[in-house]
Amino acid sequence: MLITNTEEIPGKNITTCLGIVSGSTVRAKHAGKDIMAGFKNLVGGELTAYTELLGEARDQAMERLKDQATQIGANAIVNIRFSTSSVAAGASEIYIYGTAVIIEDAQ
Amino acid sequence: MFDIAVFLSLISLGYFVGRYLEKRHYHSINTREQALIKVITTNTKRPLGTLGKVNKVELVTGNAVISVDYFKRVAAGLRKLFGGNLTTYETLVDRARREAILRLKESCQGATQIINLRIETSSISQGKSNQIGSVEVLAYATAIYADAPQAGKQATAE
Amino acid sequence: MKYQARLPEHNSNISHEHPLKEFALLLAGLAIIMAALYWALGLAVDYVVPMISPEKEQHWFKTMRIDKGASHWISQDNTISPYDSPIFESLRSCANIEVPLTLWQVDSDQPNAVALPGGDILLFSGLFDHAPSENGLAFILAHELAHFKHRDHLRSIGRGIVLMTVTGFISGDSAALASLLTPAGLATQAQYSQTLESAADALALEILNCHYGHVGGATEFFENMLKEQDSSAIAGIEQLNHYFSSHPETQARIDNIEQLRQQLGFDKGP
Repeated sequence: MLITNTEEIPGKNITTCLGIVSGSTVRAKHAGKDIMAGFKNLVGGELTAYTELLGEARDQAMERLKDQATQIGANAIVNIRFSTSSVAAGASEIYIYGTAVIIEDAQ
Repeated sequence: MFDIAVFLSLISLGYFVGRYLEKRHYHSINTREQALIKVITTNTKRPLGTLGKVNKVELVTGNAVISVDYFKRVAAGLRKLFGGNLTTYETLVDRARREAILRLKESCQGATQIINLRIETSSISQGKSNQIGSVEVLAYATAIYADAPQAGKQATAE
Repeated sequence: MKYQARLPEHNSNISHEHPLKEFALLLAGLAIIMAALYWALGLAVDYVVPMISPEKEQHWFKTMRIDKGASHWISQDNTISPYDSPIFESLRSCANIEVPLTLWQVDSDQPNAVALPGGDILLFSGLFDHAPSENGLAFILAHELAHFKHRDHLRSIGRGIVLMTVTGFISGDSAALASLLTPAGLATQAQYSQTLESAADALALEILNCHYGHVGGATEFFENMLKEQDSSAIAGIEQLNHYFSSHPETQARIDNIEQLRQQLGFDKGP
């Protein structure tokens, strides 16, 4: 599965467009890490627990996006966009969407 | 004792009614998505293929605000203690997004193509206690109303 | 370029596990964590409490003592007055308690008695209806003295604080969770108190025996309670509630006291 955030892929031709696909996830860290992050907030710096959380959430959303695209027979997703919002306090919500396409090598 | 009784009745009300409503909503989403499947929708900037004479281009939007039920809120509260996927909120945002996109599509019936679709999520009514009330999704895109091209290549919906 | 939209068969953006299953698992996990925390901190309380001597306790809780003038902080509706009992001092020396204790009478229909930190013992006037004889009342006094001697009043305050902290910590700002956890915690605490009550009854029998040479009248209060429960139409509700109450069911309590008496070999009295 080829994933890009450009509309076209250099060296490839898009033959069929399959519509919008998306992947989303809502994840949280356990309460202990939330408390540690609260303490870290006093001195500033990187909140590794939350960096990790966002990474995990993004990976999972990406997996789900690929899964949706595979199901409808795509071999690439172009023009993907990430969006994040805080749906619940302390939880990370990641949404990825893009256009699923079928590509072939350009002559 | 009274507290427990109130809590249990609220949570079972939330669970049974919430589950029923969610099922009904998913059913409606699925049938409407099936009905609107032929409308060409992409999030790319350029229209697909070649267009004939363009009659109208307009900005179209669709939004939806979906709320959680009591059971989902408590379940998510428990899940936040342990970490991991807040599964009860996943259906919430999923429903809200698909509903918003469907409303966008329904608002421009007859459009040849919908391009450059963008989706924004925000949570409103997030009160003092940090408990989520609902999630709002706004979908916006450009709808193109065009005649079929004279000859040659064309974007075909199959 | 063709447009050929399809819908995915399977929605991978949501979990397909049954929500109730997940909920039950999480709740069980939480119950285990809470029980473990409560157990460990409860043990810590039990460890610390015996180190607090009655003198230290009286010093620490000096500001919380009930004075004639400041009696209203404990109860808005009921008046509190000093209670004079001719046998109390003798019972106290039988219990080997060296610090001075004060008896208070609270006007209330409830048949109840409480030992407070600092050395105040409250007798609710409903007691006197159920324990009309001197021996009957002596057992109640001895029971409260036993609680004081065993430092049970400090234990229950310590455990109460632990329970509040644990529920507060876990439920955070979620009022719904707190309303679920608090009664569960109270039930656990009630179970714990029942073992303390039994131990206090045993010491109370010893105090009675020291004072009178026999333990007659020890069960008078509970027998009267039992009679009232039988005649009461809401007896069924009482039964239901007994899991949440800190005192063992009345008949079981009488049997237990009788058993303790036989074990200790005290005279049943007149």
